[in-house]
Amino acid sequence: MFATGIAEEDRKGSYVDRSISRPCNFEISQQSPVTHTQYPYVTGTSVLGIKYKDGVLLAADMAGSYGSTVRYKSIHRLKAVGSHAVLGASGEISDFQQVTQYLDELVLNDYMWEDGNKLGPQEIHSYLNRLMYNKRNKFDPFWNSLVLGGVENGQKYLGVVNMIGVHYKDNHVATGFGNHLARPMFRNEWREDLTLEEGVKLLEKCLLVLFYRDRSSINKFQIAKITEEGVVISEPFALKPNWDFKAFHNPTLGADGSW
Amino acid sequence: MAMAMGCLLPPEPSQAAYREHQSTWSPYENNGGTCVAIAGLDYCVIAADTRMSVGFSILTREHSKIFQLSEKCILASSGFQADIRTLQKHLDARHKIYQHEHNKQMSCPAMAQLLSNTLYYKRFFPYYAFNVVGGLDNEGKGCVYTYDAVGSYERVGYSSQGSGMQLIMPVLDNQLKSASPLLLPAKESATSLTESEAIDLIKDTFASAAERDIYTGDSMELLVVNASGIRREYMELKKD
Amino acid sequence: MFLTRSEYDRGVNTFSPEGRLFQVEYAIEAIKLGSTAVGLKTKQGVVLAVEKRITSSLLEPSSVEKIMEIDEHIGCAMSGLTADARTLVEHARVETQNHRFSYNEPMNAESTTQAICDLALRFGEGSDESMSRPFGVSLLIAGHDEYGPCLYHTDPSGTFWQCDAKAIGSGSEGADSSLQEHYNKEMTLEEAETLALSTLKQVMEEKVTASNVDIAKVAPKFHLYTPAEVEVVIARL
Repeated sequence: MFATGIAEEDRKGSYVDRSISRPCNFEISQQSPVTHTQYPYVTGTSVLGIKYKDGVLLAADMAGSYGSTVRYKSIHRLKAVGSHAVLGASGEISDFQQVTQYLDELVLNDYMWEDGNKLGPQEIHSYLNRLMYNKRNKFDPFWNSLVLGGVENGQKYLGVVNMIGVHYKDNHVATGFGNHLARPMFRNEWREDLTLEEGVKLLEKCLLVLFYRDRSSINKFQIAKITEEGVVISEPFALKPNWDFKAFHNPTLGADGSW
Repeated sequence: MAMAMGCLLPPEPSQAAYREHQSTWSPYENNGGTCVAIAGLDYCVIAADTRMSVGFSILTREHSKIFQLSEKCILASSGFQADIRTLQKHLDARHKIYQHEHNKQMSCPAMAQLLSNTLYYKRFFPYYAFNVVGGLDNEGKGCVYTYDAVGSYERVGYSSQGSGMQLIMPVLDNQLKSASPLLLPAKESATSLTESEAIDLIKDTFASAAERDIYTGDSMELLVVNASGIRREYMELKKD
Repeated sequence: MFLTRSEYDRGVNTFSPEGRLFQVEYAIEAIKLGSTAVGLKTKQGVVLAVEKRITSSLLEPSSVEKIMEIDEHIGCAMSGLTADARTLVEHARVETQNHRFSYNEPMNAESTTQAICDLALRFGEGSDESMSRPFGVSLLIAGHDEYGPCLYHTDPSGTFWQCDAKAIGSGSEGADSSLQEHYNKEMTLEEAETLALSTLKQVMEEKVTASNVDIAKVAPKFHLYTPAEVEVVIARL
């Protein structure tokens, strides 16, 4: 009756059960569309990391920002991975927590071998590299810059991975704003034989600078210490900022205008 | 907007300042760096700087861009570090499989062909990597292969790739005065320079490139491949 | 004998209690019914010679193909089910060409032999894709690569051996002992041609002619002799 192919299809559909003639149609409409991350929602700011005499130190504040709103103030951005490594994250907090779950699973599976062998920081860093790079290959990245610090039989390890899989190691590292503000201070003051006290002091100095200049940072921090003995992540603490600079009292004082 | 909805939606553009600048993300990044290789009659010198950058920031001053693929074959790569590392791991795995299958190390020309194929297989989502392969061929002669990101390659007497190549290549052209590749029958492409002359030339080109190219600097790693094996040297470069 | 075997010679993936795979052993037996093929290695190259059974005067001799080229530097002589050999040779041709594509170099003869044996072993009752029984053919693989001339022998079990000289097929026992007696490593290629053909002659029922034998050499490239070239060798016998 109808000569066109389209009509032919329609007629078939009218008396043949749709779920048989087109089994896929029904299925697909039930599924939600595939979605990819295109921007972050709740983010954390810089993470700092340095090696020191006996191990590695990591530092970060506890803010979770929703755009320019400081939405959360007790986000743990430093997390122990196994017994001798700590992961710090800037960027999307939910993605970091997902990564954290993957790592817990990885460490648990490794533990269950009961072979006395443990994943070292180098292996964890390598795993994170592949994880981040594979996500970027799927155009659905984990929106983070990750810092991994660890110690394995006397060797200190400090590495970074970013959201597209770029990774490197160094004696001192910093993500985001930290790379601009803290890194130059590290370059001036970092030494291989920094004591714990000196290391913490250096980190606190940098955190304070970031607190002054990075609007999404807050005065509530944690510092993680990784040594041969294991991991210690400090209780949240605040630093004593100094707002007594003259310019802070009346910022317009030195800026004469026409009105 | 209702508060309950607020936490389900992304930050509004006015709220998220960064979104005004960064609408979405890119799967690529240029981490810079420069690679150079020179082939001699019985040696090959391969060098690269160790700076890794993104934009105007330096990520680290000591990141090696040189990878040893076999006893007589070296790969130097600049571009996107994550792709480069993946490429290195891939070639390394392929070389291990090759050794199991054929009971020998892959020759430099074979590795050069494999790299070309590997790059071309990702023609439509390329590895953002600019490679130079250097080493000794089956006759023990120095060889250099130079590539683009999608696998075009050519055997040459010397080459440079990466952010400093525009500065270095004309200097090599001038100093090495090799026979034109247009001449028929083909002339010897390997340079007649001695090993130490070639090393000195490379050191000068890197010191020069570091003056003007912000993506080249910190230090230079240099490998010499000859009949007695592989030797490694370092030279400090400007850190500004 | 067959009574005791009957329980375990049905499936190709069932071992007998003595640890034998009868179907593979039967396949090796099948080779002994095939026409004779010999191969000899010299310092200049490798010679292959095969007997062609021309069962009828109406048969076109050139259509009986028992020596095949795998790549320009590798040739292969066969005995047994030649149809099975074609599958193996086709596989080897793909492997060698793939190797040239990937690495811009010829594939070594040993690796090629290994690739053939990998396929020879890939039989069973599994997927529709794979062979359901062992390949009933034995091969003599002649090659010339970076290590010089070489000769390999494969059988249906997927095992291979490197040889200086080897005979396979129905006349292999007589031919092998003859080769052991007359072969030496210092032979010239021409002497090897003569020895290959005289060995074949000993075990063949018919008189040797240009149409009932094939000769090929790999020195260093594969070359299948024309009837005229075969005549020259026959004349030397």
